[in-house]
Amino acid sequence: MSSRKRKRCSKEEDVKRVFCPDADDHRGLQQNVGRETSLLSSSRSWAKCGDSFLGTPVIKNLQPSRRKLSVVRRLTQSPALVQSSAPRCNEDPVHIAWSSTDTEQSDDENQQEKRSKAVSQQQQHRWPQRRGKATAPIQSYSRALSMLTADKDNLPVIDTDSDLDESEEGAEKESEQQISDCESKSADDPKDFPVESTTDKELEITGYVSDGEDIGSTLTSSKLDSEIFPLQNGEGSKRSVSDWLKSAQAMLQTPQKPTDRQSKTPDDSAKKKRKFKSGGLAERLNRLQCRQRSAISFWRHKSISDTPAATSTTDRPGVLVLEVLDVHEECSMQLARCEHWRPPGDGDRRNKSVPGEGRRMLVLFNKETAAQLSPAPGDVIHIYPPWQSLSIEGFSSSVILNTHFSQKAYSASKPASNSLPRAWVPAKRHAPYHLAQTFGLSNECRTKCDGGAKQVAASDALCSAGGSGVLVRRCASLLEAIEGLGQAGSVEQDVDVVVQRVYSIPLADASPTSLLKHRVPLRSSLAPPAEKGKTRLCVLVQDGCGIFSVVQLQPLTCGDELHRFCQMWQGRTCVLKGVKVVQRVTRERHSRLFSLIDSLWPPTLPPKEHGNSLSVPKESGAPGQAPSFCYLLSGQQSSLEPTEGPIMSPLYLPPRNRSLRDVLQSEEKTCRCSFVATVLYKRMQLQSPDIGQGEVRLVLTDPSLQEELPERLCGQTVALCVNTSCVLTSSVLEALSSPAACQMSFRDAIQENGVLLCAEQSVIEVRSAEGGVDPLAGPLPEPQVKTLRLDSLSLETTPNSLCTLTGVIVGVDENTAYSWPACNLCGSDHLELSEETPLNFLCVSCKSVLDKPDTKVQLEVFLSSSALSNCTLKVKLQQKTILTLLNAGGGLEGDELQGYDVESVLGKEVGPIPVYVRVVARKPAFWMGLEEICLGGC
Amino acid sequence: MRSLLPAVAEQLFQDIQKTYQETSQIPDDLLIALKFVFGSCALQALDLVDQRSVTCLTSPSGRKAFQVMGGSGHLYTCFLSCHYCPCPAFAYSVLRRNQDLLCKHILAVYLCQAMAATQQESVSDQQMSTLLSPTGTP
Repeated sequence: MSSRKRKRCSKEEDVKRVFCPDADDHRGLQQNVGRETSLLSSSRSWAKCGDSFLGTPVIKNLQPSRRKLSVVRRLTQSPALVQSSAPRCNEDPVHIAWSSTDTEQSDDENQQEKRSKAVSQQQQHRWPQRRGKATAPIQSYSRALSMLTADKDNLPVIDTDSDLDESEEGAEKESEQQISDCESKSADDPKDFPVESTTDKELEITGYVSDGEDIGSTLTSSKLDSEIFPLQNGEGSKRSVSDWLKSAQAMLQTPQKPTDRQSKTPDDSAKKKRKFKSGGLAERLNRLQCRQRSAISFWRHKSISDTPAATSTTDRPGVLVLEVLDVHEECSMQLARCEHWRPPGDGDRRNKSVPGEGRRMLVLFNKETAAQLSPAPGDVIHIYPPWQSLSIEGFSSSVILNTHFSQKAYSASKPASNSLPRAWVPAKRHAPYHLAQTFGLSNECRTKCDGGAKQVAASDALCSAGGSGVLVRRCASLLEAIEGLGQAGSVEQDVDVVVQRVYSIPLADASPTSLLKHRVPLRSSLAPPAEKGKTRLCVLVQDGCGIFSVVQLQPLTCGDELHRFCQMWQGRTCVLKGVKVVQRVTRERHSRLFSLIDSLWPPTLPPKEHGNSLSVPKESGAPGQAPSFCYLLSGQQSSLEPTEGPIMSPLYLPPRNRSLRDVLQSEEKTCRCSFVATVLYKRMQLQSPDIGQGEVRLVLTDPSLQEELPERLCGQTVALCVNTSCVLTSSVLEALSSPAACQMSFRDAIQENGVLLCAEQSVIEVRSAEGGVDPLAGPLPEPQVKTLRLDSLSLETTPNSLCTLTGVIVGVDENTAYSWPACNLCGSDHLELSEETPLNFLCVSCKSVLDKPDTKVQLEVFLSSSALSNCTLKVKLQQKTILTLLNAGGGLEGDELQGYDVESVLGKEVGPIPVYVRVVARKPAFWMGLEEICLGGC
Repeated sequence: MRSLLPAVAEQLFQDIQKTYQETSQIPDDLLIALKFVFGSCALQALDLVDQRSVTCLTSPSGRKAFQVMGGSGHLYTCFLSCHYCPCPAFAYSVLRRNQDLLCKHILAVYLCQAMAATQQESVSDQQMSTLLSPTGTP
């Protein structure tokens, strides 16, 4: 067997055959066989027989060619059969290395033997005479298009055949030999073969039998032949051949069907609905392409699931193993110049005899395959059959088409690609072809074939005129760039955008980090906790057509970097490049993001029309609705490059600072707003070890709220919730941790039904005391709130707000009244009795020996307020107030507190004190949980 | 490297023509190859071919032009000497985006020529000049 292959290969090279698929088949098989080195010696003696086997169909040529073809085809459907029959025909004692697929078929061996033996004997007689003759036509016949099947080591036979036919029989043969349909990859597992359609039924069934069990193969073939044969002449032939094809194809493909069904895209079904002319070409192609699509998705699924076996699959015949030399892009396709690798064990002898050019191949990948494969120089790619080889006049190497079943076996750029989204290097792109380069056809075709050289020269000239230069592609529309997606979702074109917003988002914690976090000992709440989670830089960009995209960029190491990027990018026109599309997001799913987009709508300049980005903005008026979708892209720092220096883009809509009153009285149900406010009070979630991780509640005010107005519609303070999705930078955290009130700017906070929220895309920054004018926030160093006014507690008071309260103590919650010593230096309550001086304490946290530790007291009282007659008010008091109540003047010492009686505080008036409203319960009775607070700095 | 795709297209057309001349039909593998090279255009163009939508107009002065009846009934005038079609797909996918080689109408013209399925029609010189002038409406 091996020698047969070998011989065929060498022959192929002799005749400079362009049917690479065929060549490949041999190689694939040789790989199996070549391991048996002992066989090498016998190759010569085998050669003749091998050739004669090749010639099998030649015998059949005596009969009408269709018959011949079907035999060949049938043989190809059962590779095992072919393999098993080959050795027999040679009648050679050499040990045969059975390929793994053969094992099952040993039962059928005898049956096959007889047939193949007969055939080969005939061939042996015939072949010698034909051989010399065959060569010439093959050389001249350069445009035959061949399709390959997985186990089709017989394809060369088809080609050779047809060449012979050409010389002998003229016109008839070509179509048939080209009707080599292909998806016979499934020959191994034909068990689940569903019947396709009623018309094809019979043929398919026979096909199935022959396919699955070799026993039937002989019969089947003759049956097929006989069916087709009578139809050969006249009108009927078209249909019969196509029927036959259908059946053959179905036969080869259908095992893959069941799985495809689920993976059918809406696109497919949409196409299905289309009505094509019955019996027309479009209908046929539609059917073919549906099958192909199914086969592809099945194959992809399968190739993903069994990648480990990838190396062994190269042993299979028909698999092209190619090393990519370089990649170009032409139209939406990728053209890879490849070097064809012979399978190992092939022997160096032949490789040397082959000049380098001969092993070159041009491989076309369509957009989808290219995106999956992202071929790059140095990669090794396996292309599984069925693929097609097209030889073109004027091109030395053949072109491989239909490369849907391609897989990357080795990636030259592996180390980088897995971990980081590396900047994608686009394939070189050919300039568009010359429009005047029409394709030669029609009546001149004949003459053109004669003057081939001239035509080649002409097209050469055209190509060079077309330019080999790489086009600089830059466009003004995100949509267009995204529509023209290249490899693996990369946006190839550079897009001019304006950076509307720069912000950061919390990075989803990698599990190790979050685990570690809990092991970190709790910090004293006084020390500003460093920002824990890493954050990622994001920008919201907009193109000239009004389309937005969120670009996720690199992680930020420290939160204050954000400010730098804001300064650098926000408001500038930038070139966006090297980004990938992560997701298309819609208004329905991401209402918060779209609330930001809405705040940037309408654009300052009317958006350009799509698909017309070169034109001037359209004159007439309304920009229409804000977009209902945008894209989520990912990139890195180099993805954004400012183009126009420090000049703000005219498209930039800066955040406009509004007064809080304005914000709260806004008519809109939901909107984004920016403001500067004084943070009066902050409350962190206690369960979180670090602020910045949990939710943070702030109470804000600004001069507009503090103004005294005859009728006010909103309170004098307002609560704001900082969601965990809003990043608090370290400087903000520091400012929040300090007891003093601080001014902060809130950019793109969300106002929802009168409640303020900082969440995704919101940015909080500390307004520095110097009042430096932030170019982004505009000149707004508003006067600080001088004298703070708070609302009086009322029935309308909402939780998380600040009020003043005056009332009379009507009760004491004795369970919560206690006192404890605390360090008078650091405030820690973690004290130990000193060992040396038993009366003294040792502060564990600051290590100081305390002579007289402070005594802390806690007391919660029930108040009755004249304003709220039927309401229970429970107030947790501050130490200062408690001491005043107790008339303890200079403070408490030791166990003094225990001497106080509950009665002594009852009836005492408290207030006005500022309180934070923790809980408001209206049922079963009106009840409020309050906490007296200390307002620093105001 | 030389531009390959036009050469592939040309070769395919020639193969189709040759095969069709010889067998009056187009084998599946050529259809699949067409689909591979021209993408979704192939199907639409074949539909146009099936519908006999391509007409070759000839005027007495010897001018020729193709008219393709689009799916919506719109007539597109294409030329022999260069690739041009007034349809939006040509302007966008071919000229602007450089992502397709041809639009479906031009592809249909080629396929019809290859399969000798072009309708022939004679028009007057005046009609032809109206047709070819940019302001003219066919």
